[in-house]
Amino acid sequence: MKNLVIIPAYNEEENIEKTIENLKAKTTLFDYIVINDCSTDHTRQICERNHYPHINLPINLGIGGAVQTGYLYAWEKGYDTAVQVDGDGQHDPAFLETMLNTLQREHASMVIGSRFIRKEGFQSSFTRRLGIRYFTWLIHLLTGKTITDPTSGLRLVNRDVIGLFARHYPKDYPEPESAVCVLHRKKKIVEIPVIMRERTGGVSSISPGNSIYYMIKVSLAILIEWIRH
Amino acid sequence: MNLKLQIIIAVIILIGFFLLTNLIRKNKLDLKYALSWILLGAGILILDLFPGITSLLARLLGIEVPVNMLFFLGFCFSLLVIFSLTMAVSRLSRRITRLTQEVALLSRRLQELTHQENDKEE
Repeated sequence: MKNLVIIPAYNEEENIEKTIENLKAKTTLFDYIVINDCSTDHTRQICERNHYPHINLPINLGIGGAVQTGYLYAWEKGYDTAVQVDGDGQHDPAFLETMLNTLQREHASMVIGSRFIRKEGFQSSFTRRLGIRYFTWLIHLLTGKTITDPTSGLRLVNRDVIGLFARHYPKDYPEPESAVCVLHRKKKIVEIPVIMRERTGGVSSISPGNSIYYMIKVSLAILIEWIRH
Repeated sequence: MNLKLQIIIAVIILIGFFLLTNLIRKNKLDLKYALSWILLGAGILILDLFPGITSLLARLLGIEVPVNMLFFLGFCFSLLVIFSLTMAVSRLSRRITRLTQEVALLSRRLQELTHQENDKEE
């Protein structure tokens, strides 16, 4: 079994070393690749100095395009599974092997690490939780399936879905939309409880100012994804 | 519509045609994308030279001042052109994303090959 961790990184010079050293310490079953999304800080230099395997995007593509590059790489290299772990240190690689076991045991296409099953660790702000609950409700309404944490970036997929994402992956705020894309193809998604940390440095891509845009855009994207087939 | 306005519109369009042709000649503008503007200009020119058409259309739609009909049609056509540009931008951004990813993957591949070479030499 070849397994790959995809680490999208945009201006993560404060976190990237910690994230990767932590990853290497916690699991040996996974290879990893950093996707440097044309960072303007020293992310690239840090990757080069430490000989971290990395891909440098010559143009900033945003999270969707960066993660998709990872899936394209995983597809090309014949990986059996790929998991996205954000470069900001929110995702604990200690859960990766549990996720892999779950994927195999449950014959699932995708395993999502959810903050809201056991409600432990960093739970995000009240308004964000409200937004996430709304997406859970919307996805349940459309697909009949419950995803407690549709915005979680910590997600492991099998080769089938690697191929799907390599061909088709949303551009920005891709998590809820891509989950619907998988569900809609009658593929199985399983969630396991994980504990996330609050980001240690840098800023989130979703600020209060663009949260309304985020809600509307993702809702529409989910609806369009739902009527697509 | 009075003659003065007719002449002004015709002159503006002719200048527009001249500029467009010049840009296409210098390869600064693709004929493919200029075509819609040429059609727009031609359309307005015809309506400008034959005010009867505009008046007839205006009467049919209940527009009192015929020149408003001309503005209305121009506006609709401009919207069409802008929309086609939005579609072109979407297509371009999709293509650029794909190209960027391909370039990044190739440069990674090159990096890996160079590493292998170096390992062999050592």
